[in-house]
Amino acid sequence: MAGKEIFKGIEIKGKALWIAKEKILAVADLHIGYEQALNEQGILAPREMFKEIEKEIKGLLKLKPKIIVINGDLKHEFGRISRQEWKDVSNILDFLKKHAKKIILIKGNHDTILKPISRQRGIDARNFYIKKDVCFIHGHKMFAECLDKKIKTLIMGHRHPAIILRDKAKSESYKCFLAGRWKGKRVIIMPSFFPLVEGSDISADFENKLAFNFNLKNFEVYAIGDKVYDFGKLKKVRSLA
Amino acid sequence: MNGKLNFVKERNPKEVEAIMHPFIKEWFFSQFKGLSLPQLHGVMPIHERKNILISAPTGGTKTLTAFLSILNYLVSLACKNELENKVYCVYCSPLKALGADIYVNLVRPLEEVERIAKKHNIEMQKIRVGIRTGDTTTHEKQKMLKNTPHIFITTPESLAIVLSSKRFIERFSAVEFCIVDEIHALASKRGVHLSLSLERLCNVSKIEPVRIGLSATIAPIEEIAGFLVGRGRDCEIADVQFTKKIDMAVLTPVKDIIDTEAASLHSELYNFIDQLIEKHKTTLIFTNTRSATERVVHHLKEMFPSKYLEDIGAHHSSLSKEHRFDIEERLRQGKLKVVVTSTSLELGIDIGYIDLVILLGSPKSVARALQRIGRAGHRLHETAKGRFIVLDRDDLVECCVLAKQAREGIIDRVQIPKNCLDVLSQQIYGMAIQQAWNVEELFALVRRSYCYSELPREDFFSVIDYLAGEYALEARDVYAKIWHDKETKKIGKRGMLARMIYMTNIGTIPEESFVNIVMAGGERKDERVGMIDEGFLERLKPGDVFVLGGHKYEFRYTRGMNAYVAATMYKSPTIPSWFSEMLPLSFDSAIAIQRFRLLMEEKLKKDKKEDVKRFIKEFLYCDEHCAEAVYNYFYEQYKFLEIPNEKKLLIEYYKGEKDYIIFHSLFGRRVNDALSRAIAFVAARLRRRDIEVGISDNGFFLAGESIQAVKALRMLNPDNIVDILKEAIEKTEVLKRRFRHCATRGLMILRSYKGRTKSVGKQQMKSGFLLGSVKKLDENFPILKEARREVLNDLMDIENTKLVIEWIQAGRIKIKETRTKLPSPFALNLIIQGYSDLIRVEDKMNFLKRMHQLHMKEIEKLKE
Repeated sequence: MAGKEIFKGIEIKGKALWIAKEKILAVADLHIGYEQALNEQGILAPREMFKEIEKEIKGLLKLKPKIIVINGDLKHEFGRISRQEWKDVSNILDFLKKHAKKIILIKGNHDTILKPISRQRGIDARNFYIKKDVCFIHGHKMFAECLDKKIKTLIMGHRHPAIILRDKAKSESYKCFLAGRWKGKRVIIMPSFFPLVEGSDISADFENKLAFNFNLKNFEVYAIGDKVYDFGKLKKVRSLA
Repeated sequence: MNGKLNFVKERNPKEVEAIMHPFIKEWFFSQFKGLSLPQLHGVMPIHERKNILISAPTGGTKTLTAFLSILNYLVSLACKNELENKVYCVYCSPLKALGADIYVNLVRPLEEVERIAKKHNIEMQKIRVGIRTGDTTTHEKQKMLKNTPHIFITTPESLAIVLSSKRFIERFSAVEFCIVDEIHALASKRGVHLSLSLERLCNVSKIEPVRIGLSATIAPIEEIAGFLVGRGRDCEIADVQFTKKIDMAVLTPVKDIIDTEAASLHSELYNFIDQLIEKHKTTLIFTNTRSATERVVHHLKEMFPSKYLEDIGAHHSSLSKEHRFDIEERLRQGKLKVVVTSTSLELGIDIGYIDLVILLGSPKSVARALQRIGRAGHRLHETAKGRFIVLDRDDLVECCVLAKQAREGIIDRVQIPKNCLDVLSQQIYGMAIQQAWNVEELFALVRRSYCYSELPREDFFSVIDYLAGEYALEARDVYAKIWHDKETKKIGKRGMLARMIYMTNIGTIPEESFVNIVMAGGERKDERVGMIDEGFLERLKPGDVFVLGGHKYEFRYTRGMNAYVAATMYKSPTIPSWFSEMLPLSFDSAIAIQRFRLLMEEKLKKDKKEDVKRFIKEFLYCDEHCAEAVYNYFYEQYKFLEIPNEKKLLIEYYKGEKDYIIFHSLFGRRVNDALSRAIAFVAARLRRRDIEVGISDNGFFLAGESIQAVKALRMLNPDNIVDILKEAIEKTEVLKRRFRHCATRGLMILRSYKGRTKSVGKQQMKSGFLLGSVKKLDENFPILKEARREVLNDLMDIENTKLVIEWIQAGRIKIKETRTKLPSPFALNLIIQGYSDLIRVEDKMNFLKRMHQLHMKEIEKLKE
């Protein structure tokens, strides 16, 4: 699996982050139920995503994490939850619980009604999670606690960053991490764990919809492929795009 | 398995008159001097209840030929008080407007006949005519159930809906006649859809209805006849050709099209058109694209503001129904001096008196040329006057050869799509809504359609499995549209919404939306330069350079339905353009041009200029002007290099800003699309690098580094080409787009669901995800399989591509390679105008690695 240490003690592992010292594994934006949402709109997408997510998570569990952080948007749809989604979400939570001591569920903008499911399993859905000097937060909303001086690292999801590479007529996109500094803190924006779709283009109009006024131009771009590719600062990526 | 086909002869007028009911006879001869040629061919076989295809030029009396026997029969029943409350005749036309015309043209004579009957003191039952289209109100539908129209006018889509209505099909229990009008316009998925509806109609009717097809000039006529009647039924053919005189000529607006500058060529063109319009009463101008239609209207108005204000109109399929209707009405009333159209006025609605048809740019096939020119002098014995106006030398040669073929009656052949699984899915769903079926009987019904007569059993059952939700076991409830009981072998509909879903999502014509391309600044600020697909816009990023109408534009930003651009001359295109609008040159016409090239090469080798020119004039029936231009074009090519032709495939290597390999393969765009992608894919795989291809009707080019094109060409054979192409198209935009169309037709994407309608953009976005997950599910999923078939067989022309490869292998076409310092005259247009695409073989991860290295190098450079 593609891996790289981007800050001291914090490593990229595929689409996830790994903090070895605390044995924390973090994933963001799984969007379970995306296909059901399409079905509701009259698009008969077959349900291939869940199997894919399960397979990829199994691979990550080889790291033997103690704590698994789901950094927001576990589920896709706003509004009512279908039986199938209920089943999928329950299955994944049960599965994760079996493999880690603690499951942390961060509330995303899409997770408005996760409570009943998570509570049943003794998992609390929360707005953020602070472990020592690291704070996990989804990113669509700011919480004062996350600005605390003691916190040295902010880790978020929400925006699904992806880098689009172009060569003449050809273009391909890849999921990527963005990492930089803001108000003396280290900041990491994680890609979505969601398979089949890479995410939103970081080279254009990417800053909006985040609850923080980061200066993203100076963030480093790490593209995820067979390994992690460091593309340097985002402003360079943009100038060459 | 096919039925017998029989070409009918003209009957004696006395014989036809003898079968006519006195009232019909009295009405007929009060209106017409005598029976027309199509009527002498067609009326009797219909009277004898034989299936018949009637092919005659536009403006003939085809429709009345079809109806005369039927009206005759209905009047005789009505006089005997024997008319029942049922549909006797179904009339189906691809154009709603044509249905409305027919309605008027039936009601009027019927009123006449009633009056005649009254005069003779005969009380006659009323013969009812009814129209059922998407616009018919619920109230009208209710009325039709009670007082059923004896002649039922409809469209292919509405017919399919009516066939799923339990109450209405009772009225179809003994249909005696079925007319399909404008059948030549149905060699498409719409026709495939109709072919199944006709089988459904035959199935519900206890009587096998007589099928009557009406067609403009078309080839192969036997195939159209087979398509009309389906498998195993006999058909008469009335081929009444060229009774209409045609006056055709190819014209150039300036003496020398090559040395005239673009700007003056442009103004000369409009002056020239203006002069032609001036000399005639009503002129109809055909362009090949909707955007060109708009452009012509715009420039005529701009250059001659005093002349063209009220009496000019545009007519194309992107315009509103009201606008089009208004134009048609004003044309009929003779209030318009000129109408500019793309393809929408090709079909036979009555547009009144036209005395000149101008074809701006090549019509790309002989049948289309005849169809368009046939719109002039819309009465059988009048001469139709058509003028081809050409702006470049490829067009000149092409139009001259097309005009020659048209004059000599050599029509290019159409292909009818076969085994379309998306259309089949939609129709099976409709049938399941109609009733429960034994699945074997259903299969037998489907195979009676000409378009499915060889449908493999496993394909049929893959569609049943898809509709029954078998591909998604865990969530069958969501996906299943039908139930399938394997023990009783029965199928039927599922779900409360089935009928609603079927009715609101029926049809085969894909939705596309367009965005205007507008200049962002400079002298031409706010000028509209053309239109592009919404789908294409989605792929544009600010700064991308693309080609539109031969010019390069840099994309800046969008506002609503406008995309703003700046003209650019020095930057190369960064993104391949895809013009879904372009008409491809037909294969048969392409071969005819190649034959002319061969003759020209022989002449140039041995004859003097004057002799060659004389040959051109005689062979192409053209004037001095054209002959001179054609001669010069060929002479330049001959002197510079040599002339590619029917027996010689010239491959030209040229190093410009890229390394070009130009194939002078004049086979039409559909074959070139397939051939170029196959060669590029094999060559790209040899080096593991992507190759750019540019495709036009006259040839194609490959661009990239050290391409082994001939080696790749030699590796192709008729047996491996399908598999190679399937792989080559796997990552293309065109497969994505076609998949969306197929998914919509096959009801995998419901355009309209639970009261909401999805925009095309949304459908396209979601279909990208859908395609990804379907591929993961099953490589042979029927809708995916259909999308691939559609790209290979309908968009491209895989059958003729195989033929070309066979010709190369057999040495019938020899390959000649040559290197040039500048592109040869024949190659110029190809390089400028060919739309390009990229053949991808490079693995996504390799690309990332390579781009990363490039990127790092750039950063290093910046540091220095």
